Amino acid sequence: MRLSLGLFSLLFFAFLYAPLVVIIVYSFNSNPVNMLVWDGFTLDWYKGLFGIGERYLDPNQRVIYLESTPQLIAALKNSLTVAAVTTSFSTVVGTATALAVARSRFRGRGFCGGAMFLPMMMPDIVLGIGLLVFFSTIGMQLSLVTIIIGQCTFLTSYVFIVVQARLAGLDPRLEEASADLGASEWVTFRKVTLPQLAPGILGGGLLAFIISMDDLVITYFISGAGSQTLPIFVFSMVRRGVKPEISAIATLIILASVIVAATGLWLRARGERR
Amino acid sequence: MSPRERARIVVLLAPATLFLGVFFLGPLVIIAVYSLLTPGLYGGVEWTFYHWNFGRIFGWADGIMEVFQPVYLRILLRSLSFGLLTVLVCLTLCYPVAFWIARLPQRWRMLFLFLITLPFFASLIVRLYAWLLILKPSGPLGMAFTALGMEPPELLYSPAAVILGMVYIFIPFMFLPLFAAVDNLDRALVEASADLGATPFQTFRKIIVPQTLPGIAGGSVIVFIPAVGNFIVPDILGGANGLMIGNLVEQQFLSSRNWPFGSALAMVIMGVVLVVLVTFTSRAAKAGAVR
Repeated sequence: MRLSLGLFSLLFFAFLYAPLVVIIVYSFNSNPVNMLVWDGFTLDWYKGLFGIGERYLDPNQRVIYLESTPQLIAALKNSLTVAAVTTSFSTVVGTATALAVARSRFRGRGFCGGAMFLPMMMPDIVLGIGLLVFFSTIGMQLSLVTIIIGQCTFLTSYVFIVVQARLAGLDPRLEEASADLGASEWVTFRKVTLPQLAPGILGGGLLAFIISMDDLVITYFISGAGSQTLPIFVFSMVRRGVKPEISAIATLIILASVIVAATGLWLRARGERR
Repeated sequence: MSPRERARIVVLLAPATLFLGVFFLGPLVIIAVYSLLTPGLYGGVEWTFYHWNFGRIFGWADGIMEVFQPVYLRILLRSLSFGLLTVLVCLTLCYPVAFWIARLPQRWRMLFLFLITLPFFASLIVRLYAWLLILKPSGPLGMAFTALGMEPPELLYSPAAVILGMVYIFIPFMFLPLFAAVDNLDRALVEASADLGATPFQTFRKIIVPQTLPGIAGGSVIVFIPAVGNFIVPDILGGANGLMIGNLVEQQFLSSRNWPFGSALAMVIMGVVLVVLVTFTSRAAKAGAVR
């Protein structure tokens, strides 16, 4: 019984990781004709990605280098800009809402807490087209600004949930003690609540950043011609057909997200141990 | 409540209320309104009521000009069944693994939980692209079949590919709530059941499943909701037989430019999601009240 469970779990983890390994392996395959048949090791696709490889477009060799390095760089820049702004906004607003809902008693508190879950639970496509119709109705051109506004709706909800969970785990007696000892509300917040809450805020912000960098569906509907983000760029490439360069981009994305996620989870584990 | 505290609550809640009131509620209200309006000739809308947006899906035809064809209803039902199948496969895969990890020593548990959440952070589009490579007839799976002397099955652009893709991207959503429930399972009850002569299957059905039901239900809901309205997975991995209601919505907005009909389809997705959510929370509240 135990053994078969272990065996099943092994297959389960193989299922989870095999696709990622497949991408990484194929991104180094030098076969220019059929990218799925192994031919030898090469870094050409990576070089092509950054525009530093020899750019020969020989139709007989069917070597198709990425023609759009500047577009790729622009998409990455757009993604980082959007993620930086949305993360800052949603972290501040989400934390403020969590503080109000978790630390005060007022009518409609339960409703507020429940309503904050809705943007996260709303199917992406409904929110995406809703935002598209909304922006076109009020006459707003699709741009990075519309992407930022659109992403902030559900990212605020994610940060709220993470920070609220952390707040619920804090000991309210510490804050009471601080107040009893004569600290003002602001001093109590700065010296007692905030330091304990910091890992939650950091975790929520990091989650918002990762989700923003990866958001495809909502951004897809509200990004204009000049405001492609990285996932949209990759999506439109994949739609046009598989190419070895996509595997190279995908490998770099996997690497970057694994590093960010691992750092985040490590920080959290360290925070919990203390 | 002191005026000071009241002021603090207002200041803390105002940004989220204003922002979400305008940019979250606003869009939802607008598509609710659009779903009842007449599509204009060249995109856009005319401000008169039009029954045919929903009628086309559910069969409300005027019987003169409009002929009801159940094609949209069929796609809706297909989306529901794809969502359900995705939930079932995720559950079948995650349940045994949750038990295995729950029995591991603390250090290893952390590692394996980390390994399950990690792929979730590797971009959605990248993970789907991986399956596109794997399922291609000339890809690794096809080669494996050829090497074994068998005809490679036509997996890509089929309903099976869509469900496989959705299972792959939603597995962490199912696993985490399920694991929380399995981890809280009272081992003494399981042992007592066995001591009292229950077969393993009886113990499973009468003790383990009821005890872990909150996790099963929670995981199922948060997998089903994004699965049923998904359009990226069928767009990349599904063919004509894998088309889902999300694809219809996308088409109405980005190619057919029939916004009212697209809004009506989106309202249907939202309706399904709300029904599932309300059922789940009311059942969960009732279960909580009993205990």
